[in-house]
Amino acid sequence: MNAVVRLEDVSFGYGAQPVLRHVSFTVERGEFAALLGPNGAGKTTLFRGMLGLIPRLAGRIEYGFDRRVTPPGYVPQKESLDPIFPLTAYEVVLMGATARIPPLWPVGRRPRRLAADCLARVGLAEAAEQPFWSLSGGQKQRVLIARALAVEPELLLLDEPTAGVDPGAEAAVIEVIKRLNREQGLTVIIVSHSLPLVREVVGSVIWIERGSAVKGPTAEMLSAERLANAFGIATGVE
Amino acid sequence: MSTLVEILAPDFLLRNALVGSVLVGVVCPLVGVYFVLRRMIFLGVALPQLSAAGVAFAFLMSSLAQVHRHGETAERVLAMCGSLGFAFVGLVVLAALERQGRETVEARIGVTYALAAAASILFVAADPYGEAEMTHLLKGDIVTTTTASLDVLMAVFGTVAVALFAFRKELLLVSFDRDMAVVLGKRAALWDTLLYLLIGVTISFGVMTAGPLVTFGFLVAPPLTARLVTRHMLTFSIVAALLGGVTAFVGFTVSYRWDLPLGPTDVALAVAVLLVVAGWQGLARVVGARRHRGS
Repeated sequence: MNAVVRLEDVSFGYGAQPVLRHVSFTVERGEFAALLGPNGAGKTTLFRGMLGLIPRLAGRIEYGFDRRVTPPGYVPQKESLDPIFPLTAYEVVLMGATARIPPLWPVGRRPRRLAADCLARVGLAEAAEQPFWSLSGGQKQRVLIARALAVEPELLLLDEPTAGVDPGAEAAVIEVIKRLNREQGLTVIIVSHSLPLVREVVGSVIWIERGSAVKGPTAEMLSAERLANAFGIATGVE
Repeated sequence: MSTLVEILAPDFLLRNALVGSVLVGVVCPLVGVYFVLRRMIFLGVALPQLSAAGVAFAFLMSSLAQVHRHGETAERVLAMCGSLGFAFVGLVVLAALERQGRETVEARIGVTYALAAAASILFVAADPYGEAEMTHLLKGDIVTTTTASLDVLMAVFGTVAVALFAFRKELLLVSFDRDMAVVLGKRAALWDTLLYLLIGVTISFGVMTAGPLVTFGFLVAPPLTARLVTRHMLTFSIVAALLGGVTAFVGFTVSYRWDLPLGPTDVALAVAVLLVVAGWQGLARVVGARRHRGS
């Protein structure tokens, strides 16, 4: 199948209480999609559900790859990680590179090279030995993208990668993601609140509202009427 | 100097106590590293106390059932079962409640500590065969460490240290980013359970060997000191263990030379080292900032 992930009539929720019901859409290989919707609509629920972090209450999810062999690349928000851990940028990325090494097996040269290579791909080769907590917000986010790449994924899922970073750093983070999608054909799904960003770089939008989700091309999904209803804005600009 | 020569002599009378003390000093910080990283330090107060309550509970049950405890080995096994059982169950329950997050963590741990401390005293008071030896075991009388109990301690703490080193990749990932671990297909609950088991075993044997105070002191103070001076996970663990071991040895020497109680001496030394290192770093920061402003 050319679909990287397909949801069929899926419900996600917490406990037995569904937050999203009857969600069906397909993300094709090489797509750049965004999860969008008003606050509290269920973006995080859908994102975590697709990653397998919360249980699926009903329906089916099919992946176009073997999740056990190539798990999805997951990029959390940088604030979710505790700065108390004494880790360098390289060591954070190495966590992704060693993901498939079974317990008790030594970490060989290949994962180490892969981690260094992934850091270089996000433009942070020179920051390898810097403590992770000492990096700027944008640099931390790029390190987390490098960690996700080190898993060698077919699907990259990012949770608000530009939240809390300055405009310059935001541009650098987005440039990295765009490059991964366009030049390397990596399928990307991003949670974002930034409408200008979505308009500029994203090909399709998964719109979440009133407990369900629909998917379509960005221009169609971000109609003035939908944005006015959801956010109370007429122009569609944040 | 003569004290040091006496202590290091092969036929030193308290050799078992010295080795046991250093072992507790080395292994408790290795586990304590995860207490600091997972921000579970308060658990380090409650769990040793809970473990002590488990020892008292096991003896009380044995007395009520009128099972006679013949010899030191039987008493140690009984104490170990109670200690390990209470520590492990307490850890699992507190960790599970933390996930639900209904009340504050501090409140739960505070209540657990108060309950465990009260229960220890009540269990001892209610034990019709309450013996001085049991009280010693509860307090962790390290001087009474025998060759047999030292052998068991070495085997158990050796296993804990090897397991922490062998599974450091998995334990670190689950501690640093649990969601990432789940996405990567790791069984996070299984690794959490292994870590809790290692923590429970270390605390139980630490409490039985050196008492709750020393166990808590070594769980927390050396890792906090090591965290101030290290930038890598592996060096963090190694420096914490070395600091703990050296502090335990120096504490034993000081305690022996000036006839001071060992436990409080160890803890006071470990905290003194922490204060000196933290003070030195603070001073260095102030001087650095002034130089930066001056230039």
